[in-house]
Amino acid sequence: MSLIKTVDEISSNPRNRKAWLALACVIFAVIIVIPAVYVIFSIPSNWSGIQDVLSDSAMMSIIWGAIWNSFSLAFIVTIIDIIVGLPMAWMLVRKSYRFGKYLDTFIDMPLAFPTVALGFSVIVFWGCPEGITVPGTGLVVDPYLMVILLHIIFTYPYMVRCLSGILEQIDTNYETAAMTLGASKWTAVRTITLPLFRAGLVTGFILCFARSLSETGGTYIVLRMMGATTLDVTGFFTGPTLISTIKDIPETDSMPVLILISSLLIVFALLMLFVAKAVMTRLRIPWRKVWPQFGRRVSGRKVAGTKDVLAFLFALIFVLLPSFYIFVCLGTEGTYSDYGGFLGAVGASFLVAGAATVFDVIFGVPVAMYIARNRGTKRAELLDNLVNVPLIIPTTALGVSLGLFWGQLGLSSMGMLLVIFGHISFTYPLLVRNLVGAIEEVDPSYEEIARTLGAKPFQAFRKVLLPMVKSSLLAGAVLAFTRSLGETGATQAIADVSTVPIYIVDLINANDYFGAAVSSVMLIAICFVFMFGLRIVISRMGGKD
Amino acid sequence: MPKIKLEHVVMRFGTVTAARDINVTINSGEYVTILGPSGCGKTTLIKMISGILHPTEGRVLIDGADVTDVPIEDRDVGYVFQNIALFPHMDLKDNVGYGPRVRDMSREETDAVAEEYLSLVRMLDRSGYLPSELSGGEQQKVAIARALASGSKVIMLDEPLSALDARVRVELRYDIRRLVKKLGITVLHVTHDQEEAMSVSDRIILMRKGTIHETGTPLEIYRDPKSIFAAYFIGETNLIECTVVKRTKKGNTQVVLRDGSVTRVAGIRFEVGDPVVLSVRPEHVYTANDGIRAVVRDVVFMGTYWRVRTEADSQDLIDYNISADTDTPSKGDVVYLVFNKKAARLFARPIQGLQEEIVLE
Ligand SMILES: Nc1ncnc2c1ncn2[C@@H]1O[C@H](COP(=O)(O)OP(=O)(O)OP(=O)(O)O)[C@@H](O)[C@H]1O
Ligand SMILES: [Mg+2]
Repeated sequence: MSLIKTVDEISSNPRNRKAWLALACVIFAVIIVIPAVYVIFSIPSNWSGIQDVLSDSAMMSIIWGAIWNSFSLAFIVTIIDIIVGLPMAWMLVRKSYRFGKYLDTFIDMPLAFPTVALGFSVIVFWGCPEGITVPGTGLVVDPYLMVILLHIIFTYPYMVRCLSGILEQIDTNYETAAMTLGASKWTAVRTITLPLFRAGLVTGFILCFARSLSETGGTYIVLRMMGATTLDVTGFFTGPTLISTIKDIPETDSMPVLILISSLLIVFALLMLFVAKAVMTRLRIPWRKVWPQFGRRVSGRKVAGTKDVLAFLFALIFVLLPSFYIFVCLGTEGTYSDYGGFLGAVGASFLVAGAATVFDVIFGVPVAMYIARNRGTKRAELLDNLVNVPLIIPTTALGVSLGLFWGQLGLSSMGMLLVIFGHISFTYPLLVRNLVGAIEEVDPSYEEIARTLGAKPFQAFRKVLLPMVKSSLLAGAVLAFTRSLGETGATQAIADVSTVPIYIVDLINANDYFGAAVSSVMLIAICFVFMFGLRIVISRMGGKD
Repeated sequence: MPKIKLEHVVMRFGTVTAARDINVTINSGEYVTILGPSGCGKTTLIKMISGILHPTEGRVLIDGADVTDVPIEDRDVGYVFQNIALFPHMDLKDNVGYGPRVRDMSREETDAVAEEYLSLVRMLDRSGYLPSELSGGEQQKVAIARALASGSKVIMLDEPLSALDARVRVELRYDIRRLVKKLGITVLHVTHDQEEAMSVSDRIILMRKGTIHETGTPLEIYRDPKSIFAAYFIGETNLIECTVVKRTKKGNTQVVLRDGSVTRVAGIRFEVGDPVVLSVRPEHVYTANDGIRAVVRDVVFMGTYWRVRTEADSQDLIDYNISADTDTPSKGDVVYLVFNKKAARLFARPIQGLQEEIVLE
């Protein structure tokens, strides 16, 4: 333990603490922020190639179509999430149904499913792709609709979590107070509770929007299995799937196209972040007027009950059933024997996810502490906004950008390292966001009291703050880890490292659907075992100290 | 005509019974305060009247109509929360105007009402502020204005002044009383501050362990408490165990303390030999040349007078007051105490013991 003691000693010098923070910030900038947007700065040096693309009107219409699809999809999905997530969050927080606890865990499950597995499951459930004998509903044949259905599954849990988190913090007395003043339940909720949601809604909106905008693997599988990934007018793409499709075409210099699409995606995404923040924080729920009669009518038990049933049915039909449908595929005939390949991919996935998560924890904690403890200062706000940048950028574009940046520095042969860097970029914000929220909840006077009792700063951090935010830190780490495990786009765009999602995409590309189903289910199982095991470890740790 | 009436009201939370068989009547326009130890069910009681809680058993009547099953918003009972609960996203005008607004009044009417009530609590100049920009006391005032502005003729106040400093509290409590009396509003006001209860209420309800222990005007409860608990909880009192030895011809009762010393109390309600408890407030105990012998244990300055704490030879602790500008005895001095026999009261000695009778839980 002498190392920790040494750190304790070192930490009592404020200059050392500053140096450590500065180092964390520099690393944050050099490894995360700058490479993420580097692609934009590479436009001038690739200008002639890009000009060729710009004059290729067929290509341009595909590009614009893909970008339009990406943004409109993300918007629609997020709006649906808000509309259906709100009653669900309400039900989980405010009502005490007996099945509420199970529902709570079930809602989170799709988060543990890698999106490639979800994509496969969704297409089999809603569509009826050729070459698969599982009876699907066959209801959906439109790629746009299909992608919406897919994206709802993995964004919906984020939205419900986010909304129920806020709802838990809103004092129910506000609503009761409104009702003693004569407002019906409905009016009270509309005029008091919903407006108090605003800040949280912005976060939920950005999270879901970014997640939808970013998703590559699942979307690619869905589109590929619908036969929509042909590079002509009959094709259907989103920005990220277009990038991965183009990347897969061998023997052409596709760099200018990739740079163009990535830059467009990044610029629009950042604009979007800016606009969403500006609009949502100014948005007022416009109707001052209330309709007492109407409010009273919809405040009844029946309406509330119906709303709960609908919210539950939505979760069941549009989220849970399609997610778990993949297990049905195991019942079909087929052979799969490439377990060696699968295990290799698992090894690569765990290496990448583990390395990225460790990095996130080490360099994310000081930045999160700085942001949380210096709220309101310019520097902290700047850091806070910068942390969001890699979160909102579509990971495929991020991958292209990263590949370019490190390639410039001559590192392009170190594929594995670059993939880890890429995964750090988009997992880092997840961990930091979680941690900032948790640290802000802890009254700084605890640490100050520890210091007055003679603790060195690092000791105070270890013994006082860390135990209090431990669960959030671990939750953030688990989130980062699973997100990394499931990521397709960034990996694909950076280098030829065969992580499990890539492995599954390759199987699909080779039309080995049964193999894809088996590996997806195995990946799901691994994720579950991993998360479950971690939960046990966490609860043990919690019991010990 | 009674404004509010509770009949056999019971409220249970799981195994906890927060209200047991409460029967009470509040008259129209009456200002009633509810006193009682923490956790005795004060908040529960007014929440049942305003409809925030639905009683497990019994009926709540307002204006003679059974409103037990009427939802909060239709009861027309204003409520000021223990923790204020001003809507944080609305400025003061919108907060106060909320009641009229949800009753579908026009914008102009709403604003007019809001301004009227804000000016009643002298907060009109702050109407554009957000609640977070106000001090605790100002928030309290606005919360009261908001409850009044909804036009309710009945309001519940849950410790509305507890967050304020002593001086503001005193000013505000008279303001509130003046306001509600002017508007003819019936008020139920929960408080922990006895002086507040004494000075503003028409009637005091003393609660204990989920029941209504005693009700009466402030003067009645102070002068003539009907129970040892009321005497002990409201105001301060010395409780001395003794036994009746004689009923005098002048209409006094003579009692003997544990050490054999005797004293007299006006009135003859007990038989010779009855075990009793004598209650006498410190302000009715004086020193004399002769009386109950006691040794001074402590002398405490109470802000405007001295409190002398003594231990009598009977081992009873007896406190008395002397004015701030007189000389005080020192610790260990022997004093002789006499009681104002008209102000002292006798109660039957409880079988389960005196301490059991006055525990707060
Ligand atoms: N929602 C609830 N669930 C369970 N028990 C409750 C609930 N509300 C109140 N109680 C219990 O009922 C009893 C009375 O509570 P109440 O809030 O009415 O007390 P009070 O007299 O207002 O106390 P205080 O003076 O501290 O505000 C307490 O024992 C409390 O624990
Ligand atoms: Mg209370």
